[in-house]
Amino acid sequence: MKIILVGFGIIGKGVLKTITLKSEHLKNRYGMDLQVAAICDRSGAAIDENGLDLELALKVKEETGKIADYPEKGCEMGILEVIESVNADAIVEVSPTNIETGEPAKSYMLKAFETKKHVVSANKGPLAVSFKELVKCAEENKVCFRYEASVGGAMPIINLAKETLAGNDIKVIKGILNGTTNYILTKMEKEQLDFDMVLKEAQELGIAETNPHQDISGLDTAAKIVILANSIFGRDVTIKDVELEGITRITPEALAMANKSGHTIKLIGEVTDEKLIVCPKLVPIDSPLNVKGSLNVAMVSTDLANDIVVVGTGAGDIETASAILSDLVNIHQTMKN
Amino acid sequence: MIFLDLELKDSPGELLKALQPISSAGANIFSVIHMRENKTQDGRVPVKVVIEKLNDNLLNSIVENLEKLDVIVAKINEKMKKTNLEVVVVGHIVDTDVLDTIDRINEFGVVVDLDLTMPDPVAESSARMRITIDNEKLNELYDEFDKIAKEKGLLFIKSC
Repeated sequence: MKIILVGFGIIGKGVLKTITLKSEHLKNRYGMDLQVAAICDRSGAAIDENGLDLELALKVKEETGKIADYPEKGCEMGILEVIESVNADAIVEVSPTNIETGEPAKSYMLKAFETKKHVVSANKGPLAVSFKELVKCAEENKVCFRYEASVGGAMPIINLAKETLAGNDIKVIKGILNGTTNYILTKMEKEQLDFDMVLKEAQELGIAETNPHQDISGLDTAAKIVILANSIFGRDVTIKDVELEGITRITPEALAMANKSGHTIKLIGEVTDEKLIVCPKLVPIDSPLNVKGSLNVAMVSTDLANDIVVVGTGAGDIETASAILSDLVNIHQTMKN
Repeated sequence: MIFLDLELKDSPGELLKALQPISSAGANIFSVIHMRENKTQDGRVPVKVVIEKLNDNLLNSIVENLEKLDVIVAKINEKMKKTNLEVVVVGHIVDTDVLDTIDRINEFGVVVDLDLTMPDPVAESSARMRITIDNEKLNELYDEFDKIAKEKGLLFIKSC
């Protein structure tokens, strides 16, 4: 199976490291010879349809910051042109997220579908903005479109709901889908520190981004809720349909008050057939939704299996690459059958 | 038979007081199970009472009298009737007329406990409210929370 890697940032590098690490495992277990035919970033691309040297690609990126500097096979070709011209089975789309327009990732995905390539994405922007259009284009071109890594990183939620729980009527999905807000609230509760102080510390540790607006305002969780609503509940909604409240007003005193009645406060995203909500909620201390630190958790409430809870790492290069790899294996198995 | 789930204050004489409105109405009491080991979050003692079948008017009058005695009728025949709702509120709670906030909540349920902290005269305060409410009125109360939140700039953090 040949892939094109679109985006060579933290997640892209994690994907290459994971492929290198799991190469033998994939061959032995699934008969899957995974080759990277092209890698693209803002500088251009490295292309070799017989398979690039992944360790060399990582070294070049580390040393120069540009994949176009890959010896002999590096070039300044644009990403759309690479997707169109390079012979591959799938693209792995991990370019930066834009939750307002979904671009340019959306165009990369559409180009991949049109050129009959499967798409595996970790990019929540285009999924939150143009889900129906993307799914329709994939269906029309008879290719697979998988995006497990877009919600909850390594935590299996989309494929769990769509495949493992097939036949169940899913009534509610709720949980913590943003590790940064969970880290901040956990730390505020444990050390009775105020929001600004914990946020600053989280930024210094690299847990929160320099511009944390999307995380703390709840927008990041809202985008994930929209993806769940569209992909699992078959709805056609965008972020504008989400009732939204972030965590900026939570105080250490509010957390102490919650503790007095056996609760804690978490930023919870919830989706049903009728509603899409992201807001701080009181969670009982002994609830499975009370996970600490930067963990993510989701509870899927169904008619047959009752409540299923999954907990996992919501971010991180290798963790996200794990979800991407599982989607690639699934596509490979589908192609084989 | 009718199964009543009551929640009593944990003090001497409460059980006897709770059985009074039932016996006064002439209803036969078949059994009383006092569950001291399963206290509710607010420290009340749950009691299951089984009585003979009564017409709706008589039953409603018994429930009304029990509630006047501060006995929570949590369930009737396994159907949830009352619920204890916990809410944490953040904002300028006192400055925006806390009495008015409580009065407006009391139109739908009863604020049975209020715990308020003001760490700084200027900063926003935080409060914990416990509200006993009929289950049927829960959505109306949530709508009222939204209205108060918009008017007074308060944040109501509800249960998950």
